[in-house]
Amino acid sequence: MISRLLELFIAYEEDSNVKLVIVKGKGRAFCAGGDVAAAIRDINEGTWRLGAKFYWKQFTLNYILATYRKPQVSILNGVVMGGGAGASIHGRFRVATENSVFAMPETALGLFPDVGASYFLSRLPGFFGEYLGLTGTRLDGAEMLVCGLATHFVPSERLSLLEEALCKVDSSDPAIISAVINEYSKQPYIKEKSAYHRLNVIDRCFSRRTVEEIISALERVALNKKDDWISKTIQSLKRASPTSLKISLRSIRQGRLQGVGQCLVREYRIACHVMQGKLSKDLFEGFRAILLDKDKNPKWEPSKLELVSDDMVDSYFSMMDDEDWEDLKLPARSNLPAYAIAKL
Amino acid sequence: MEQQITRRTQVLTNHLLLHGEPTSLSAAPPLSSNSCLNYSPPELNEPLSFNPTDMRVYLDSHNIPDRDWLFGLITQSRLFNPKQRGHKVFFSPDYNQSMEQQREMTMKRVLYLLEKGVFQGWLTERNPDAELRKFALLEVVGIFDHSLAIKLGVHFFLWGGAIQFFGTKRHHDKWLRDTENYVVKGCFAMTELGHGSNVRGIETVTTYDSNTGEFVINTPCESAQKYWIGGAANHATHTIVFSQLNINGENQGVHALIAQIRDADGNVCPNIRIADCGHKIGLNGVDNGQIWFDNVRIPRENLLNSVADVSPDGQYLSAIKDPDQRFAAFLAPLTSGRITISASAIYTSKIGLAIAIRYSLTRRAFSVAPNGREVLLLDYPSHQRRLLPLLAKTYAMSFAGNYLKQIYVKRTPESNKLIHVLSSAFKATFTWHNMRNLQECREACGGQGLKTENLVGHLKGEYDVQSTFEGDNNVLMQQVSKALLAVYIAAKKSNKPFKGFGLEHMNNPCPVIPSQLTSSTLRCSKFQTDAFFLRERDLLNRFAAEVSQFQAQGESKEYAFILSYQLAEDLGRAYSERELLQTFIQTEATVPAGSLKNVLALLRSMYALICLEEDAAFLRYGYLSMDNAAAVRKEVTKLCSDLRPHALALVTSFGIPDAFLSPIAFNWIDANAWASV
Repeated sequence: MISRLLELFIAYEEDSNVKLVIVKGKGRAFCAGGDVAAAIRDINEGTWRLGAKFYWKQFTLNYILATYRKPQVSILNGVVMGGGAGASIHGRFRVATENSVFAMPETALGLFPDVGASYFLSRLPGFFGEYLGLTGTRLDGAEMLVCGLATHFVPSERLSLLEEALCKVDSSDPAIISAVINEYSKQPYIKEKSAYHRLNVIDRCFSRRTVEEIISALERVALNKKDDWISKTIQSLKRASPTSLKISLRSIRQGRLQGVGQCLVREYRIACHVMQGKLSKDLFEGFRAILLDKDKNPKWEPSKLELVSDDMVDSYFSMMDDEDWEDLKLPARSNLPAYAIAKL
Repeated sequence: MEQQITRRTQVLTNHLLLHGEPTSLSAAPPLSSNSCLNYSPPELNEPLSFNPTDMRVYLDSHNIPDRDWLFGLITQSRLFNPKQRGHKVFFSPDYNQSMEQQREMTMKRVLYLLEKGVFQGWLTERNPDAELRKFALLEVVGIFDHSLAIKLGVHFFLWGGAIQFFGTKRHHDKWLRDTENYVVKGCFAMTELGHGSNVRGIETVTTYDSNTGEFVINTPCESAQKYWIGGAANHATHTIVFSQLNINGENQGVHALIAQIRDADGNVCPNIRIADCGHKIGLNGVDNGQIWFDNVRIPRENLLNSVADVSPDGQYLSAIKDPDQRFAAFLAPLTSGRITISASAIYTSKIGLAIAIRYSLTRRAFSVAPNGREVLLLDYPSHQRRLLPLLAKTYAMSFAGNYLKQIYVKRTPESNKLIHVLSSAFKATFTWHNMRNLQECREACGGQGLKTENLVGHLKGEYDVQSTFEGDNNVLMQQVSKALLAVYIAAKKSNKPFKGFGLEHMNNPCPVIPSQLTSSTLRCSKFQTDAFFLRERDLLNRFAAEVSQFQAQGESKEYAFILSYQLAEDLGRAYSERELLQTFIQTEATVPAGSLKNVLALLRSMYALICLEEDAAFLRYGYLSMDNAAAVRKEVTKLCSDLRPHALALVTSFGIPDAFLSPIAFNWIDANAWASV
């Protein structure tokens, strides 16, 4: 699918008849993400290099979407997670609905938020990005809109009308397209139990320097008030792979300070190390526990945060010690609109 | 005639209707977009020959994730003056605010960082890792604002450092935690109106009253008032006071005591007078004050007694009998200030270069070919020559600064002397470089360099003080040459080989410079170190000879030294540059083979050769012939064009986030567009 999307997007950019690109899913999901099972199979049957090839293609697609010359409108009427986010959030317009469910759930699997998530998560308000990336929390359409992951919210029953109107637009002018989507948009309400009502606590805790300190800060807050949300948050952190948590935290924080291209290059390095499995086998253990055997009881190694040293985390961000390996090379882009230039 | 009139009318009509050619009216649109300048980001036009994040590891060298964390704390808060320019947001203090507002904002930011846990362990954890993290975080603060870094420097490194190094356990227990948590706000009253560089000459006097067990601190005359005391004018509650200590009628020299100057409500304490030093050419986020002590009484325990003490009944006690040695032991711990200032100078240089070089990769002026496109600034050899050697020097200083930090955090009593000399040399060299670098970068940015928001020009005023505080650069360099002379004299006297301060090369045969300097010789590290060794060796010999000659003519040792100031200066520079070259080569050696290592080699050669070109000593004393010098000059130009393709990668490697540079480093057309106003 990635190859096909790449082909299409590259063709559409050159085709002067194409003014904008609309992306939508079929059925209950927009896109639930990469086929982890297939990737693991590739790695087990072949080598991690096969998995790396897939990531190379996917990140290339992410880069092209992020720097696309024409507006992309993604209709997120359902689940949008992992790779699905990579195929949509980088685009100019993201339309959420009451059916949207967003998440970057990688740390529970021994992975880390990739597909340029270190770019887009880190640019959310305050330290919400750290919160989403480390806990894998799910957001609904209203929450996506309010934090900026979505640009518009359109009730699902108006989607076909919206699509019709967009097809009639015949313009690449983002102002015009935005105006059209606005006509079908509505202002949604954030549910009472939303994490977004807890931005104060999130900012206070997820701004701490280390994963350990983030958890201690949450535990301190939990002492003072009995709260489902806090205990759920602490739980999801305690269940995730310690290595993944530390990698993700560092990646998001570094991503905040870099352009989208640099973010993808960095994520590619980390992905290669994760797939190679030399530094840690958490990806394979996560796949086994959550997706294969489904016992939901992964035995991470190292098993505790204190056992994951800074040097170990450093290794994931370094070059691979492999003759045939090279850093992700992103395609040359030209004639970018100002809004895309600012992402470099 | 009629034809002429018709033709003339048509030409005029076309002008008025903006048509290129006499054609029908309905054809061409009035405006064509082709003739407008378009901004093209350097990222799209300059391929990277290496990954800048790998180079950053060598430049920042430690605590990179902690630096990124702190950058994030700043960018995710509205307290740090975010400003939207076009599609990008920049973080920089509002220098257009009044002095009072800037000081208030600075203090607010301090308290925000405190709350976020940035200062955890800055005084209560004492191991190399904690110290390195402290340095890293202070460097990041400095990238945002010099005033904020100085406020923290004064409180943690000067006040806090004095408690740590001059105080003993009772002081640590009483003050360190409260300092770390800002329960007290500290400042450092050493400098006086009449004495800055010569600390030993300060006039504040402290006596001891054995009846009450109190010290009495007094400002006996106006020249003795404390001056430039950062933090004193508005916020500080406590201060370290440096004062002559008179015990039983005998002056025991300069000592340090703790005095409270404000109560917890912010009211100035009795017998203390404070005035505001007023508006400065920069650093107006720091509230510098003047302080007078009117027989202020403090408990005996407030004497910082790690080196000397006064017993309850008024006896002066010190393990170090020699007052010179005692004073030196006293001042030794203040080295950390010189180290943080050196580092801050380098990061500021990096900001200037990142802005100027990025700008020069997108700004065009004049065409070379007729009707050709205008040429990018950095494609001009002259523009390259202005910026790329400065880039090489900044890289050299970055590596050397890291080396200095490492030996500092692992310091031993034996290494203290080296640290003192090296930090003095580097502080002078790096801060002078910073000012020169900022000026060149400002000019390279043309008119845009005059806008405060573009940073590069404004930083000149902010950082000018660096060549003066924590040791006047000229005085520091004199101290360096004095130290080298002492090593020389000791070696000659004892007839032993040279040892210490990297002078071991004096024990080898004198290096020889080949008469023909080919490109490959010029780029060879052995030739480069030989040239630097030769200069240092010869200058040290000459300097020692001149000093001893003056002494032979009857001058005192001190005065002979003063008279030989020119050679002293040359020698100080030679020592500094030789240390810089050596650390560069050492760093280069740790890099695995590949494109990164190759680029570092180019930079190292650029560093060495630009020193050869700029220091008149090489020609004056004949280390290089005129032919040699011509070859060096030519090679510098070649190196400029060799480095040109790596310019973007080299400044990206600084790891300074876009938000801390300025609009001209990015889409300056979009930033200034009407839609962005």
